[in-house]
Amino acid sequence: MPEYRAVGRPTPRIEGVDKVTGRTVYTADLRLPGMLHARLLHSPHAHARIRRIDTARARALPGVEAVVTATDLPPLDTKRAASNRAYCLLAADEAVFAGQPVAAVVARDLSTAEEALDLIDVEYEELPAVLDPLDAMKEGSPLVRSDLEKTEGKPANVASQMRFTRGDLERGFAEADLVVERTYRTPVVHQGYLEPQATIVDYDAASGEMTIYTGTQGQFSIRDDICRMLHLPETKVRVVGLEVGGGFGARGFPFQALCAALALIVKRPVKLVLTRHEDLTSATPAPQAVFDLKARMKRDGTLVALQARAVYDSGAFPGAAMAIGCVMLGGYYRCPNLEIQGFEVLTNKVSVGAYRAPAVPSATFAIDSQMDIMARELGLDPLEVRLKNAVQEGDLLPGDRPYPRIGLRECLEQVRDSAIWRDRDQLEREPGPRRRGIGVAAGGWLGGLQPAAATVMLNGDGTVGVLVGANDISGTNTSFAQIAAEELALPLSQVRVTLGDSHTAPFAGVTGGSKTLFTVGRAVKAAAEDARRQILETAAQRLEVPVEDLDCVGGVVRSRADPEKSITFDRLARMTTGFGAAYPPVVGRGAVAARKQAPGFSVQAAEVEVDTDTGQVRVLGYVTVQDVGFAVNPLSVEGQMEGATAQGIGMGLFEEMLYDDRGRLLNPGLLDYRLPTAADVPHIETLIVEVPSEDGPYGARGVGEPPVTPGSAAIANAIHDAIGVRITEIPITPERILRSLGKVKG
Amino acid sequence: MSKLPLTLTVNGEPYQLEVEPHRTLLEVVRDDLRLTGAKEGCGTGDCGACSMIVNGRLVTSCLLLAVEARGADVLTIEGLARDGRLHPLQQAFIDHGGVQCGFCTPGMILAAKCLLDTNPNPSEEEIRRAVAGNLCRCTGYTKIVQAIAAAAEGPA
Repeated sequence: MPEYRAVGRPTPRIEGVDKVTGRTVYTADLRLPGMLHARLLHSPHAHARIRRIDTARARALPGVEAVVTATDLPPLDTKRAASNRAYCLLAADEAVFAGQPVAAVVARDLSTAEEALDLIDVEYEELPAVLDPLDAMKEGSPLVRSDLEKTEGKPANVASQMRFTRGDLERGFAEADLVVERTYRTPVVHQGYLEPQATIVDYDAASGEMTIYTGTQGQFSIRDDICRMLHLPETKVRVVGLEVGGGFGARGFPFQALCAALALIVKRPVKLVLTRHEDLTSATPAPQAVFDLKARMKRDGTLVALQARAVYDSGAFPGAAMAIGCVMLGGYYRCPNLEIQGFEVLTNKVSVGAYRAPAVPSATFAIDSQMDIMARELGLDPLEVRLKNAVQEGDLLPGDRPYPRIGLRECLEQVRDSAIWRDRDQLEREPGPRRRGIGVAAGGWLGGLQPAAATVMLNGDGTVGVLVGANDISGTNTSFAQIAAEELALPLSQVRVTLGDSHTAPFAGVTGGSKTLFTVGRAVKAAAEDARRQILETAAQRLEVPVEDLDCVGGVVRSRADPEKSITFDRLARMTTGFGAAYPPVVGRGAVAARKQAPGFSVQAAEVEVDTDTGQVRVLGYVTVQDVGFAVNPLSVEGQMEGATAQGIGMGLFEEMLYDDRGRLLNPGLLDYRLPTAADVPHIETLIVEVPSEDGPYGARGVGEPPVTPGSAAIANAIHDAIGVRITEIPITPERILRSLGKVKG
Repeated sequence: MSKLPLTLTVNGEPYQLEVEPHRTLLEVVRDDLRLTGAKEGCGTGDCGACSMIVNGRLVTSCLLLAVEARGADVLTIEGLARDGRLHPLQQAFIDHGGVQCGFCTPGMILAAKCLLDTNPNPSEEEIRRAVAGNLCRCTGYTKIVQAIAAAAEGPA
């Protein structure tokens, strides 16, 4: 492996000082002159016709600037509004989930806005609500939205469906020694970002200039959406991406656009900060899902057939990443005979969006519980069975695209060699009420792709500026600084990374899909290489030596043949920027459109202790292994792995959005929607595997999403190992444990 | 609504304010004093992002009415670094990767300070319990715990 100076070294966050001193500006911290405050009124009903909205009393309240309903909004594309949550800023004639925004108040302060909400009279006529996705698929189910139409072969509430097939299921079934058929259920879970969603939109009616301040994962996509929806030219709309207090997929829509529409209406700056209650009831969590799996295995542990039906519940509008869930369901283990059917179903629940590896943690819970069951029924080591079937380069994904080089097997081998797995035979297995067990699971993510650009500029003193347009949610700016430092052979302290706004920054795709380092990182590398070439060319002219003879280290360009001939970056910078200077400024450009994915895998093992009297589960130990291709910043990579692991533990044990029989969220707060605390999560041991990707910078792969996928299956498998009972629905609460042990009836 | 007088000390600075009785300490510190390091993550005392140290005790300032802090000595994250020098906990959070999105960081560091003020050599379990009221969604806590342990040990 080549020797690197900057990349590959654990590097603290470049913005760390601002974050530990409280200086970092998040959207809610910002206050503009003349700024007004918005609050939203939500439908209390899962499904209702809106007969009338009377805003007169609210409008009459002193301090209220506007009360806005759907009819007051600028004309949106109504065709899209019917089927796309992003275009449905406020419910018009029909509310389709409890928590859907119905009206907005804009007032001079928050308490006035709050007070005005109580003065809005909405007359609803409740309609039948469909809450369970399997019910919603049935013939004769009430419609989730009145605009839905039945089309041939597809029930009206099914938004989309798909099917992967391979081989001959019947033959596969005939060959097998073991068949296991199970149904797995996963609930709606929330991204649980700590910073409530927030937007400030500053609009000036005279100039038509709009500036949007928001912690977003995609400032260009927000700009594009808002301009399209509100018919504004992109020259007039500037999105300033502020620090994101936890993204995890959620920071896309629809609240920035709603705030922009409100600012257009009142022609003043408007601030919209969601309450935690609203973040839980009205944003875009991850879908509920139901998986029916039937799989067959030979006595030696070879998987020969997999039949699966995956039903993802998108809530009231489409949005579940059903296709990728189905791909990964059949994408971890070689299987010659395959049929996977996917259904994206609508219900009268909050509409879903992206959450870290969308749709995949739930699919992984299903397939990796199933593999565990089959291995144990055959009396085989569950890890060896996974190794036997694990995909590698050339194996086919559902849809029959071949995998490029991947590191799933290497990850499995690392876990096999880890202390927690190796020593599992020595586990105390006493007959008392507290039982210990160890479980393993694997998961992965194919990785997203989107074009990206970056510029690298030589400053006047010979330091370097990197300009990007990718909103940093995981430490990517630090990695970009390392990349520029590496390519220009500078110390990290001489590189400054800046996130430009949507007017100034080179384009970057949405920060999501584990692709920012993979795509923008490549653009930064290309831009730094370009800057280096320009620096060397200018130096060659100045020093009158061939450019091939030059090298640069530590901010000095030097001739290899004649080390006396040298010039510093500092001096070069002045020669390219000073008054009357003879050479053009150094501006390196990098622009890439990556076409090849670099799938990443994570394998995890958990040790749990289950109290069979109380149903309480403690996670005692945990190892998380991931193939990251190349860890540009091992400190960040470990941080991503550990954070994702804790989210997986949360999904396995605690997290579930609970709805009553009328579709109202029962736990709209962080006391009852339980995120894991420091006391719930053990020390997480992280082991980085590096199987280089073809196209990533230095061989890097996407990091953020793979390690959230296997956690809940690892927990479920460990609980089974501890108490001998298989629980097929997460989260595995004390109640579910006691029920499975027959200690609680019903 | 009529306002009440409020005298308190924040980060060593004395303040004389007039505040409505329904406003929380968090609102007054953020909106009136413009110290926005403390965050509102939930408004119901569940997440700990609004943590401040009031008279030596860690409080969720979103649940404390500002007038209840009358005469109190309040420390927010802005008061921790002195003369441009970071507190050892702040440095340790940076060095050990205890900082990711940063939203929980101010409250988390103050929770850690409260622990170390009373227990300078905590065990891992004691650290985990001391910050269990401060949610972090990014780190999985491992590096936060390591940062606090390192700060407790002092400079290497």
